[in-house]
Amino acid sequence: MSWEFVLGQFAAQFGLWWVIVPAILLGIVVGILPGFSPQNTLIMLLPLTLAVPVEQAMAFMIALYCANHLAGGIPAILVKIPGSGGAAATTLDGYPMTQKGQAQQALVLCFTASVFGGLITTLATIALLPWLSQIGLYLRSVEMVVVMLFGLTLIAVIAGKDTLKALIAGFFGLLIGVIGTDHIYNTPRATFGFLELYDGVPLVPALIGLFAISEALVMIEEKMIVDKSGRARALAARWSDTLEGLRLSVAKWWHIVWTSFVGLFIGLTPGAGASIAAFVAYQQSRLWSKHPERYGTGIPEGVIAPEAANNGVTSGTLVPTLALGVPGGSTAAVMMIVLQYHGMVMGPRLFATNPGVAYGVFISMAVAYIFMIFTILPLARYMSRVVLIETTYLAPIIILVTIVAAFGERQYLFDMALALVFGVIGYIAHKTNYHVTGILIGILLGPIFEQYLVRALRISQGDLTVLFSSTLGNFLWAFLVLSLVLPLWRNYAKGRDPSKKQERAGR
Amino acid sequence: MKNPLGADLVIPALALGFAVYFFVSIADLAWEAKANGVVIGGVLIALIAIQFMRTAMALVRKQGDLGFGPLWLPRDALAKRVGMVAITVLFIATLNWLGLTLGLLAALFGALWIMGARGKVLIILPLAVAAAVYLLFVVLLNSNIPHGPIERLFS
Repeated sequence: MSWEFVLGQFAAQFGLWWVIVPAILLGIVVGILPGFSPQNTLIMLLPLTLAVPVEQAMAFMIALYCANHLAGGIPAILVKIPGSGGAAATTLDGYPMTQKGQAQQALVLCFTASVFGGLITTLATIALLPWLSQIGLYLRSVEMVVVMLFGLTLIAVIAGKDTLKALIAGFFGLLIGVIGTDHIYNTPRATFGFLELYDGVPLVPALIGLFAISEALVMIEEKMIVDKSGRARALAARWSDTLEGLRLSVAKWWHIVWTSFVGLFIGLTPGAGASIAAFVAYQQSRLWSKHPERYGTGIPEGVIAPEAANNGVTSGTLVPTLALGVPGGSTAAVMMIVLQYHGMVMGPRLFATNPGVAYGVFISMAVAYIFMIFTILPLARYMSRVVLIETTYLAPIIILVTIVAAFGERQYLFDMALALVFGVIGYIAHKTNYHVTGILIGILLGPIFEQYLVRALRISQGDLTVLFSSTLGNFLWAFLVLSLVLPLWRNYAKGRDPSKKQERAGR
Repeated sequence: MKNPLGADLVIPALALGFAVYFFVSIADLAWEAKANGVVIGGVLIALIAIQFMRTAMALVRKQGDLGFGPLWLPRDALAKRVGMVAITVLFIATLNWLGLTLGLLAALFGALWIMGARGKVLIILPLAVAAAVYLLFVVLLNSNIPHGPIERLFS
């Protein structure tokens, strides 16, 4: 691959701005709504993408896909409603920033982390594609069980004051995640007799209920979602706040880089998705932080980590799709349909027979991210004004519009009712300090964890030692143990530090 | 005022009920189908038992009572909260007859009224939101959401 080829591809993709910009705007609108995933939107738009030349179709789909990943963080920050599973971890620090009157800064952090996280990993993918395509082959069910456990440990990490309540919430979520038919015999488990639950608990209604509806039911108590000082800050929002967000992003550039690579590596594995990447990145960010106790209170790193990882996934997902012919996710599967319709054969030969399309996909992604920062950054100031709307108007709109959005993913009325049930559960959890994020992590990761665990055990005919049978897996186990022991050791060391002891005694 | 510990037991009670139902539903399945659920359910029940014991000890020490205060309080928000849930149930139940646009229009009107909105906004806001949702879900995304008189009129 020569420089002339790469530069020519970049020039060609920039020439498709008239396809990319509308796709970004559509992706943002769809991404803000929790019920509409990029794959649903792309399926609805298949007649359009199949009718135009493949380069234009791919540019459109990729721009929409990336914008969708970015936009999920917007409602997560402003009203604690993640637009997608990948943005659920963003609520942990994004919403507290909004409550402190720093919505604009949080949005800018979200945009820059998403764009630069996505851009850096895309460029890395272009440079390292032959090697990256092999990584997916090494991450098998055994290794993925450990990767899932990284995400699941976040249940304990976000516990705050009451670990027992967080664990109950997490395991409750995990058990809800087991609802549906099993992965081997397809026998239904705990479906309450509903056929709609045979595929498991759908993510979107759970997300909408636990976050949007429960939050709306709680916000009724206050006139506004921000306090007086937060309101004053939001009213006085200026362009300087956007610049402040940019300054914070530059200051945390290394954080954006390494957490985006967490997303890339998780994205390389077929089936693993943005939500896992975002939670693992948040957990790792907190683990290696000098001030882990500040996570969850509204700090920039807590927004950067999940958003950079969420967008690092986008290029990773496409690597197995193009290089191996195995779609890395449902959106990648739709893209594969379009490519195959145009006569492209997925797999290693694609890079030799159609390098323009194969590498063009990633170059198109890089160009989409470049366009995206200029399209969305100026909007942060105006988007942050949402917090000034009184809850009298905001709560009914959130409840009823998100209930409609719950219909979007599977088109079942049942899902709307399910979202309301989760809303009531989320409300009770919220009011009694059982972490709703813990429940969601369980629902999100539980089924995937089970899928990999059962697959590994099936291969070993029930022998649990299979989980320690691979070098990479054992390395990940060691790293997982380190992740769990390090915070405990830190607390112990703090306890022994005389200056810290005095500090605590003085409080 | 005593610490209302009863509210803290609602989620564990729901989880316990679900865990018991889960175990009953998987009793006759192959080990691959129930292994994960048994482990998770087992740990969950153990955690719930600890929470119940913790609450019982707090009650014995008179550190709280079995009140459910946090779920109802503040009282002035309770009627709004119940009203919003009731309207949402009604909206879902009547969606097949009213369709998305008319159903949402009526539900938003009712919800805003319950929330205390009065005047022009009570008409303008539901109209604007219902129109936007109609454009996005029905016109642009061609969703299969139930169609009612308004959708049929414009189709």
